[in-house]
Amino acid sequence: MNAPSSERRIVLGSAELWAALLWLAVSVLVAWAGWDLGIGTAAAPGSGFLPFWTGLLMCGFSLAVLWSTLTTAGPSIASLWSGARWGNVIFMIVSLVVYVALFETLGFLLATIPLLIVLLRGVDPVPWRTAVPLAMLSTFAVWWVLKRLLLIQLPAGVFGIG
Amino acid sequence: MDILASVAQGLGVALQPVNLLACFIGVFIGTLVGVLPGIGPVSAMSLLLPVTLAGTPEAGIIMMAGIYYGSMYGGSTTSILVNIPGEAASVVTCLDGHEMAKQGRAGAALGIAALGSFFAGTFAIVALMLIAPTLARWAVAFGPAEYFSLMVLGLVVLTFLTQGSMAKALLMACVGAVLGLIGLDSITAQPRLTFDRLELYDGIGLVPVVMGLFGIAEVLHNLERPIAREVIKTKLSQLWPNRAEWRASAAPVARGTVLGFFLGILPGGGAVISSFASYALEKRLSKTPERFGRGAIEGVAGPEAANNAAAGGAFIPLMTLGIPPNVVMALLLGAFIIHGLQPGPLLMSQNPTLFWGIVASMYVGNAMLLVLNLPLVGMWAQLLRLPYNVLFPLIVLFSIVGVYCSSNNVFDVYVMVAFGILGYLMRKVGYEPAPLVLAFVLGPMLENNLRKAMILSQGDLSTFLTRPISATCLVFAAALLLAPLLPALRRKRAVVALDETA
Amino acid sequence: MVNRRMLALALAALALGGSALAQDYPAKPVTLIVPWPAGGSTDVAMRAIAEAASKHLGQPIVVDNKAGGSGTVGPATMAATGKPDGYTIAQIPITVFRLPLMQKTTWDPLKDFTYIVHLTGYTFGITSNAESQFKTWNDVVEYAKANPGKVTYATPGAGTSLHIGMEQIAAKAGIKLTHVPFKGGAETNAAVLGGHTTLQADSSGWKPLVEAGKLRLLAIWTANRSKNWPDTPTLKELGYGFVFDSPFGIAGPKGMDPKVVAKLHDALKKAIDDPAVQEQLAKYDMVVNYKNTEEYRKFVAESVETEKKVLSDLGLAKTN
Repeated sequence: MNAPSSERRIVLGSAELWAALLWLAVSVLVAWAGWDLGIGTAAAPGSGFLPFWTGLLMCGFSLAVLWSTLTTAGPSIASLWSGARWGNVIFMIVSLVVYVALFETLGFLLATIPLLIVLLRGVDPVPWRTAVPLAMLSTFAVWWVLKRLLLIQLPAGVFGIG
Repeated sequence: MDILASVAQGLGVALQPVNLLACFIGVFIGTLVGVLPGIGPVSAMSLLLPVTLAGTPEAGIIMMAGIYYGSMYGGSTTSILVNIPGEAASVVTCLDGHEMAKQGRAGAALGIAALGSFFAGTFAIVALMLIAPTLARWAVAFGPAEYFSLMVLGLVVLTFLTQGSMAKALLMACVGAVLGLIGLDSITAQPRLTFDRLELYDGIGLVPVVMGLFGIAEVLHNLERPIAREVIKTKLSQLWPNRAEWRASAAPVARGTVLGFFLGILPGGGAVISSFASYALEKRLSKTPERFGRGAIEGVAGPEAANNAAAGGAFIPLMTLGIPPNVVMALLLGAFIIHGLQPGPLLMSQNPTLFWGIVASMYVGNAMLLVLNLPLVGMWAQLLRLPYNVLFPLIVLFSIVGVYCSSNNVFDVYVMVAFGILGYLMRKVGYEPAPLVLAFVLGPMLENNLRKAMILSQGDLSTFLTRPISATCLVFAAALLLAPLLPALRRKRAVVALDETA
Repeated sequence: MVNRRMLALALAALALGGSALAQDYPAKPVTLIVPWPAGGSTDVAMRAIAEAASKHLGQPIVVDNKAGGSGTVGPATMAATGKPDGYTIAQIPITVFRLPLMQKTTWDPLKDFTYIVHLTGYTFGITSNAESQFKTWNDVVEYAKANPGKVTYATPGAGTSLHIGMEQIAAKAGIKLTHVPFKGGAETNAAVLGGHTTLQADSSGWKPLVEAGKLRLLAIWTANRSKNWPDTPTLKELGYGFVFDSPFGIAGPKGMDPKVVAKLHDALKKAIDDPAVQEQLAKYDMVVNYKNTEEYRKFVAESVETEKKVLSDLGLAKTN
């Protein structure tokens, strides 16, 4: 995926560079959190002992990754998404977040059937006459197996359907 | 001769109609919960425990055991078909299994997983009969220092064999370990890295992390490309492993079985470590390591055998010492106790019919699983004929249901979505999720054992090098870490890395 | 059949739109958090009690092992995140009252729980590996006098009655022992069996291993000798004058509906009255120590006071 294209040395736009910097920040945060929790002594290590040392290790590894991005340029952020249908990715993420927010209020059946229809229609639309029955059938099948066969609770929602 | 007589006695018990029925129900439910991601054997067994109390102890325990090893069988199915590992032990199966499925070889992958599991399961049972008491001693020889070193070795082995940058793999392992530490400290009960969010006190669940990083990330990745899946065009030419694949798989299955059995005896991450270790071993031994991660059948055969053998090995500490090595075994212990039996050193001599009956039933159960699963292989493989725009909403449905059922908590579904986005971005920039998952599972155990080992040695770090098992693990780990610096090996890794960029 | 009918009732209740009304309780399985690893004596006892109680409750009680922090991680998690709807309850070991006195914690035992019923207590004992040189408790004392800090003992966690008890014993004997906190019985068994620690101080989860001759019971912490091990001396007989039993009960998150508490109380009370359960408990030398909801609440307040005194005497109390 990370094609070594040596002619494209766009260091500032390098995806690798930004990823490494992000991890570096995370590792400093972790090490600091460990320090804050208390490292303890060698004979009685405290809660922060492992977070602290892991944080330092992460620092080392992210610096190593950072170093390698400076010596061999990887793909730029723009090139990673060139030609990608990123709209689909956003669409799917947004649908999932909305779904989760409504999950407990609407209940499993009322939330899941629309989600499936949206996903079936939103990306490379499946004909309605397939999408609707498929969404309903698969949701009901899962619901039946879980609730009746395995006795697992699914939220029924405020309308108590399911 | 004694053992033969005991086995015969055990078979007598296992083949009674009521026990056969219990065994069948057990493996059937096991297969079902194994295939459904997120719903593990633990929840199914807890809910069905009361049902088993109606019958004899033999029937009840045979059924419970059946659910456990049945779920191990089913676990590979979703990994191979849709890249959703139902549990940590089948994460590695995704790597090559799903690649095989994409190439239209889902049948071969499923077939070899089922047959490899059967072989491994059978071996584990025979070994359980012959050498259980001796092996129990081996299990308790592992103290805090040994566990710590074993887990370090497990992590290093994995990162050494991941593709591409080793620094990135090690970084991912650290991230996984830190994520695993979120929640209340296991020794002092202090909240750590929780940002004062109550939901995080309980730690992050494994199921949402795994499903996000693998299942959802894979869907996001596929959606950004024009949907014209190769699978539709490729004919599902072969539903069975061909002769060459059989030959390629035989040795990995054998090695995975032995490895899995011994690691399975250890309490804690035995089954998980064994599947990762087997994958690493096969890749290391292979003449063509570059095929791994791109549909190598050895990468399915070895780990699948390993995690099933580990499931058998896990019975040893329970049956011989009364020490359950994992939660599932603890549930079985509960079943024993509620039936008024005490597993432990005396079980075999005090209740020989029960002990051998259970062992024999596991053999019968394995045969049933094979009969139950092989005809399904063809059916599952047909699922991939579905066009991707129809298939992916179903994958999303199964992921959501699996995550929700694992904890009954909507927060976990958010966690899954978050890790799905993270996994998608990681894939873009060339970070692999597998080391993160393994470290996530092992992190808390690694920490707990490190701290105990240091208390025991009163802060003397040489304890890790003076204890032979621990020293051996650490020497191996160090050798693997330093190996890339040697020129010959470096060249070999470079070949792998270059190839991957194609 | 009963289960089936209850399920139908539960579904009907849900269909009527009642989410978690007290009169419908329980409409789904109840989770019982056991803050110890599976397979230890508490886990085994709680599973037996849960099994019996679920018959009376009409819904399965599912045991969830959340070990760590000396048996406080489970209750602390419940106090922080559990809904007081009666579907999440936890076993409350004495460390829940004691740890807040020793260090900074996230919970207050007097405010953050709804106490339901007090159940029973433990039989504690000290064991050594049968192959070790320590045949009696006095062997340990002699060795420890010559080698201060060399004798290690495994307990189910810091601040447990085992930890506090061992420290009190050591102080009285004038020896120094090294404490190694594990998560619970199944782990301490393995530690002493594998020779990783010299001793184990734990509740009677060691029973099958002692009977099989793999572990040796050096001392027992009850008031009188146990019927199961008539040859093992009590701490009193050894001249220490202590009795420890660390009683425990069940609680839910704060703010539970009294009707729900009563339903749980009744089911659990019936469970410990069940002769079959008492037989299971007897196997682990646990004696039923029933207190109703009101008595239990009073007992908690008293315990906190007593613990304060013991801990400050040992110098283990929190300094602030």
